[in-house]
Amino acid sequence: MGMLAARHGLRTGALAFVLLTYLTLIGLPGRLADLAMPVLAGVAAIFFWLVLRRNPQLGGIYGSLGGTALWAGLLAGGFYAVLTAFFAGLLANGVRVQLVFDKIVPQNLAALYAVMPGALLSGELSPVGWLRQVGLLGLAGVAAALLVAGERWLRRRELPPLAALRWLPLLLPFVLLAAVIGLGSPAVTFGGNNQGTIRLLLAMLAVGSGIFAARAVRPGGARRVLWALLAAALVGLPFLLDQFQNSVMGIVFIFVMMGLGLNIVVGFAGLLDLGYVAFFAIGAYVYAFLAAPFSSPWLIAQLQGWGLPVSGPLVSFWLALPLTMVAAGLGGLLLGIPVLRLRGDYLAIVTLGFGEIIRLFMLNLAELTNGPRGLLNIAPPTVGGYSLGNPRDIFLLALAGAALIALVANRLDGSRLGRAWVAMREDEDVAQATGIHLVYTKLMAFAIGALFAGLAGQLYAARQTNIFPENFSLFVSIDALSLVIVGGMGSIPGVVLGALALKGLPEVLRGVDEYRIVTFAALLVIMMIVRPQGILPSLRRGRELQEQGGSRADQPSVLETLPDNAGGSPLAQKER
Amino acid sequence: MQFAGMALQPLKAVRIYCEIRVMVKTPSFPTLVRLRQASAVRWWVRLLGVVLLLLLAWRVAVVGLAEGYPASFWISQTLNGLVLGGVYALIALGYTLVYGILLMINFAHGDVMMIGGFTGFFALQLWIGVGWLDGSALWVVLALVLTVVAGMLGSVLAGITLERVAYRPLRGAPRLVPLISAIGASLFLQYSVLLIFGVTPRAYTRPALIEGGFRAGDIFVPYTGIIIFIVSLLLMLALYLIVQRSKLGRAMRAVAEDKSTAALMGINVDQVIVFTFILGSALAGAGGVLLGFHNTVVKFNSGFIPGLKAFTAAVLGGIGNIPGAMVGALLLGLIEALGPSALGIPTEYKDIIAFSVLVLILIFRPSGLLGEVLSEKKA
Repeated sequence: MGMLAARHGLRTGALAFVLLTYLTLIGLPGRLADLAMPVLAGVAAIFFWLVLRRNPQLGGIYGSLGGTALWAGLLAGGFYAVLTAFFAGLLANGVRVQLVFDKIVPQNLAALYAVMPGALLSGELSPVGWLRQVGLLGLAGVAAALLVAGERWLRRRELPPLAALRWLPLLLPFVLLAAVIGLGSPAVTFGGNNQGTIRLLLAMLAVGSGIFAARAVRPGGARRVLWALLAAALVGLPFLLDQFQNSVMGIVFIFVMMGLGLNIVVGFAGLLDLGYVAFFAIGAYVYAFLAAPFSSPWLIAQLQGWGLPVSGPLVSFWLALPLTMVAAGLGGLLLGIPVLRLRGDYLAIVTLGFGEIIRLFMLNLAELTNGPRGLLNIAPPTVGGYSLGNPRDIFLLALAGAALIALVANRLDGSRLGRAWVAMREDEDVAQATGIHLVYTKLMAFAIGALFAGLAGQLYAARQTNIFPENFSLFVSIDALSLVIVGGMGSIPGVVLGALALKGLPEVLRGVDEYRIVTFAALLVIMMIVRPQGILPSLRRGRELQEQGGSRADQPSVLETLPDNAGGSPLAQKER
Repeated sequence: MQFAGMALQPLKAVRIYCEIRVMVKTPSFPTLVRLRQASAVRWWVRLLGVVLLLLLAWRVAVVGLAEGYPASFWISQTLNGLVLGGVYALIALGYTLVYGILLMINFAHGDVMMIGGFTGFFALQLWIGVGWLDGSALWVVLALVLTVVAGMLGSVLAGITLERVAYRPLRGAPRLVPLISAIGASLFLQYSVLLIFGVTPRAYTRPALIEGGFRAGDIFVPYTGIIIFIVSLLLMLALYLIVQRSKLGRAMRAVAEDKSTAALMGINVDQVIVFTFILGSALAGAGGVLLGFHNTVVKFNSGFIPGLKAFTAAVLGGIGNIPGAMVGALLLGLIEALGPSALGIPTEYKDIIAFSVLVLILIFRPSGLLGEVLSEKKA
């Protein structure tokens, strides 16, 4: 018994120590200031909890479970205290650790002892600081053990399902919306204002919970009423938010548009496209050429050659729409033709290459694209002389665009073409044998996906008014891909949730901007391991992945409980 | 009904025979008509390839050769290309080894290499601090060897962790899933290094012993170039011997052939996969250190582009094929060194050339130069 606890505790404690060391090396404690140690202990507690609950052979809070947790906590704390003491000693002796580890600076370490950086440098640290670290991490272990024990106790008692609770998720979006309204009339706040940030967070939560509510409600009259109410609330939202909040929501919904397009290529047709930003860029640049020809030296020369005026936009936003869409769709076809024979991972690498090639061309074809100086003063959309360039109207346009694309994507999903995509995704040979024209089906996926990205790109150009090649780096592709994957491949509401989580939340968590990419990257890996079907999976895809990864399905994840709370089992929501 | 009059038309008979062979080999049974369409497409693709080659040759003849570079320029560019190719080969072997066994592109391999470069850099700083680089030639050589070894160790650690954390739980999942996980791991490694070690590029100091080079007429060959080339050749030889002669190498080949049968033969598949990652990462770590000496700096994203190029090299030679990766890498190094001058385009487009080679290879010969004809499932 003792040996078991010690062995498991040693392993878990060592892993936790590695995790804490990583967090320290990337400089998290310095950001958290005095809260550093409690927050790290909290992280450790969550980690212990996740590890311990997977070990059913550990039993009893006074037995091996408690023993393991205590061992793990104390060991992690001990190692960690030694490490921080080592670094603190180096710093106090004037060694510039920063030359190797960029984030090991007095400010960062002092936060762990809850003292001022000066005290650390002069070596005035009391042993209490180290004991505090050991103690807090030991407490984290105990807390995790208690959590696991409590969880088991709860699971053993079968709680009666509360029928009334079913209504809660349906009401939640409206409650949140009321909170958004209640937090004050739309005043102009820019970023730093706390209340504004909270309103933004609440607004995003309202949209997210609205999606869950829309999925949770049973079909029938109630559903129609709820959907109408949700739609009305969504349309009303831009008028409730201020400029900053609207501009964030605008970019979120532009990424929804883009994600919905990528969702067709990746989610429906199963063609992993890492160069999707190319079509977004094509849309943005084509619109920029049409609306701001005066920024491109080559276009100026051409227009002057034909005796046309070069001072204003050539066509309006609305007339440009079909043109950009056609251009992006053609781009999709042109990419699609050469990669017809490729599958899976090869396709990913080739499309990545294409995306980079497009960006390099935009950077180097300075005559046409004005190179890194970009295309400037792109005209906003107008309606009857009224400019729709302010954040609120862009948000509205993005909403409209996203709704349109979602509608089209939804219809496509059930159509003959959509079913051909799914068949192709599952097995190309069998799909071909059943009479699906692979060339046509693949090209349609590329073209339609590209077309939507072009639309999103045009709106993006109109929102930014100035665009540069750096706006279209590989990371836009990766952002779009991650939001599709996090939301759930092939799932239309999932895309909205993914965009809110990946593009919206970082705006709320402005302070941790530095850690954004690391967080996403870790999230991608964890998501693939724990829940490859995404937060809100499309029902078809979710079931496929469940069948294939049978052994993994029995490890409950944190997120797995979400759809259940939102009403019934996933199968009960078959009729969306 | 297709077989009527077969004897009268020998050419057609041969074609139908080929088609039947193809049909029997493919897992599904599409109709002959569709096959004939497919072969027509294939002929068009081949024609397109020939046209492209002719265009390329024309461009080289008209623009590249017309610029009149001296022969010494071409020779030194060729040597540069071989050196770069040697480094690419070390990285490409990692892609090929992992792909051969797991049928998965280890997208984070370039970043594993970058971590090797960082470890090597810190080891080098340590030797400088101890003062070995100022000592006699023996000490300097020892320090350099230990730098490469440190880089290999760092990469191996990263590689094993990667396999354990990001890939092992996903074995048997649909193929997109490990690829996405690999992309996540790649970004995670890059930006963790950025956060931990800072944005400033770390500059490799070359010891005085290997500074400079020798001159033969107009041709200048730096010593580092020679060392890099020789070291990479030695490492490749070592890898070849391990894979072909050792017991573990035989186990690796067995696992690559068929995982479940290998398991039935008493091979510990998990162990073999870890061993594969160790081999690939060790080579990548050495490549990272050598690339650090070659480029003089390493920074958080310095593994990305070389990684992509090494992948290109692996595909060029036929992914999963060990000699193929070496040949492909040397060839890619040459293409990259000679291409811009031969085609008369600015060197900023060097990366575009590598990407274009990748795209063209995948379109015209997805199995690579030396690769066996993989079934379409693998390709």
